[in-house]
Amino acid sequence: MIFFRRQLPLLITLVTGIVFAAQYYVPHPASEEMLTTVTKWLQIIGGFALVLGVTSLFHIHAVKIRRKEPGWGYSFVLYAAMLGTIAVGLWREGKETVNGGMTAFGWIYNFMMVPLQGTMFAILAFFIASAAYRSFRARSREAAVLLIAAIIVMMGRVPLGEYLVPISGDITQWILNVLNASVRRAILIGVSLGAVALSLKIIFGVERAYLGGGKE
Amino acid sequence: MTFAERMLKIDRRIIFAVIGLCTLLPLLYPVGLAIRISPEVKAVHDYIESLPEGSVFLLSLDFDPASKPELYPQAVALLRHAFKHNLRVIGMTLWLPGTGMANEVITRIAEEQGKVNGKDYVFLGWSPGGSSVIINMGQDLYKAFPTDYGNQPTKGLAVLNGVQNLRDVSYVVSLAAGTTGIETWYVFGKDKYKFELGGGCTGVIAPGLYPLLRSGQINGLIGGLRGAAEYEVLIGQKGRAVAGMDAQSVTHFAIIVLVILCNVFYLSIRKARQAQGQGGHS
Amino acid sequence: MSFELLLGAWVATGLTLFIFTFLYEDNPLFKLAEHLYVGISVGYAIVKTYDTVVIRLIYEPMVKQGDWSLLIPLAIGMLMLARYVPKATWMSRIAFAFIVGVGSGLAIPRVVSSFILKQVEDTVRPLASMVQGNPTFSFSLADPASNLNAIILLVGVVSVLFYFFFSIEHKGPVQVAARTGILFLMIAFGAAFGYTVMARMSLLIGRLTDLIEYAGPSYGRPSLWLAAVTVVGLVLWSMKRRPQTEPTEE
Repeated sequence: MIFFRRQLPLLITLVTGIVFAAQYYVPHPASEEMLTTVTKWLQIIGGFALVLGVTSLFHIHAVKIRRKEPGWGYSFVLYAAMLGTIAVGLWREGKETVNGGMTAFGWIYNFMMVPLQGTMFAILAFFIASAAYRSFRARSREAAVLLIAAIIVMMGRVPLGEYLVPISGDITQWILNVLNASVRRAILIGVSLGAVALSLKIIFGVERAYLGGGKE
Repeated sequence: MTFAERMLKIDRRIIFAVIGLCTLLPLLYPVGLAIRISPEVKAVHDYIESLPEGSVFLLSLDFDPASKPELYPQAVALLRHAFKHNLRVIGMTLWLPGTGMANEVITRIAEEQGKVNGKDYVFLGWSPGGSSVIINMGQDLYKAFPTDYGNQPTKGLAVLNGVQNLRDVSYVVSLAAGTTGIETWYVFGKDKYKFELGGGCTGVIAPGLYPLLRSGQINGLIGGLRGAAEYEVLIGQKGRAVAGMDAQSVTHFAIIVLVILCNVFYLSIRKARQAQGQGGHS
Repeated sequence: MSFELLLGAWVATGLTLFIFTFLYEDNPLFKLAEHLYVGISVGYAIVKTYDTVVIRLIYEPMVKQGDWSLLIPLAIGMLMLARYVPKATWMSRIAFAFIVGVGSGLAIPRVVSSFILKQVEDTVRPLASMVQGNPTFSFSLADPASNLNAIILLVGVVSVLFYFFFSIEHKGPVQVAARTGILFLMIAFGAAFGYTVMARMSLLIGRLTDLIEYAGPSYGRPSLWLAAVTVVGLVLWSMKRRPQTEPTEE
């Protein structure tokens, strides 16, 4: 039994990891067929992972309502909205439009979900302005360099800035294409090396955190 | 408290009001300054122009409603261009919350340009898995999407004639708002299946994509609302993006002024403290 | 104008304004909109997942087209849900092991090819062409592909990589490289900040454009009416709150 609980998952990771890493270099039709089939399976399993993620959210708010914690009225609103959307969605078979006309599900999406999500992120504009005013201070030489680069880019990326100071557009392009590109390239190479190292550690069983807790 | 200290501690709601006005007024009273075209946006436009009529163009709308203001105008401009150029368009999304929006924009612009579903364009919809979907499409498009979003079988559709997998697609553009976007399309798509790849993205992730632009891994990049405005100018059909550029100009200058003011006050406080410190020692 | 479009305009405007009230202070209108947002988003995700995964990816191919090999991923997916049964949690590990193993295996060669080899190749290739006896050296700063810019790019990449190499002490020539790296990093972060400001402002511009459209007479001017209602509501709420903070003295 210990084998099933402990060694089998590690063995599965090792075998699948090596097989699919090697698959990249094997152009044989059988290997390509295996890739097609298994990536199809991953889509289905990915869907189940979504179910997992969503269930935990369900649970948290159910507990809040049951315990009548402060603010449970809002949890009730959340639940009602969730169940209402699910009911309408299943009634309309998950379609937002039918023969070019909008369904009730499409109405909820277009006139409730889109404005709500859009505005939640739109108010960030105000917070970035307030944060910039409160804390964007040139305390050191490096911070001053950051500040100047930010001002040049903010000016160079709008028509008014290019109209008042035409060279700001050219400097911005140079900053983005050369200076910024070099830094991002170094970060990309570094992060990718780290990701590959982590993947190798996972495949060879050195890193086991992905298996989660629970009894061994 | 000195004037500088009072100004630094000002109620943040005043700053909110300033930003609100700086955004609202230029939208109500636009000026319409000229917009310079950047080479990275022109590259995407010129590549689509160079494709022969009937070529297959895949547009992946990998964003959710949170990024709609930046990426939706890009989608509109690209679709108008592709349809005007008589390309066969395949639409899809890798982001679940964006599915309704992606379906709406493709259907609306296709109808506007007089295009027929199944013959000139198809919307495949969403499938879970991100990178797995791309690999699956690269191996066999019909295994990845046996039906389109309207549940009609993809095999046999006129628009997909001669297309077996991603190798048969002439140009892929991914409009991305984050992870599972342009990098995913390159790593799991173009690296093996060798189609040409272009990108459109939000302003937040744009600087991070320049290494791929420089190395030619993506042939062009449309960055944010500004990129969408440039594309609208290139296709000669101005829309929401161009209309928003004046507000963008004013808000940027407002932020620049706020940052400069913040530093002026901060430096004056620091100087005063240094002078006080020296006065104490003498 | 159809009734659903009219109702939709009023509901969308109202919800937008409720969220904007957060800028004044956290209040019941905002909390209502916030919880509606989470509920509807999760509900939408559940419907789409059910329709795509269960109906279109599993049920239809298996039952209507007879592709029974899909029982294997179905079984693996079910194993994952065993996570919620305390005694059977170990079974879910098999499913996770499969996903993680396949994912890592697929990713390694592709990431190495795309983000390591290709990026290093592109940094070094312009220099190789310079060394191979090309007589002209292009100085243009405006052209990102010029030789001068290729050298600056190389300096940037190497110095930033040196900065992040914390296993060796930053002394002597390594310190020079690391300090140069910091300079490049600050410029790149400044550019990132500038672009982030641009992105956030664009989001606000998008929402206000919608609000302005919904202020039109064909919709019945919901933006103006609901803005008035929201402001009145906020004022009443803040007035109602204040007497409770005054202590009662006996």
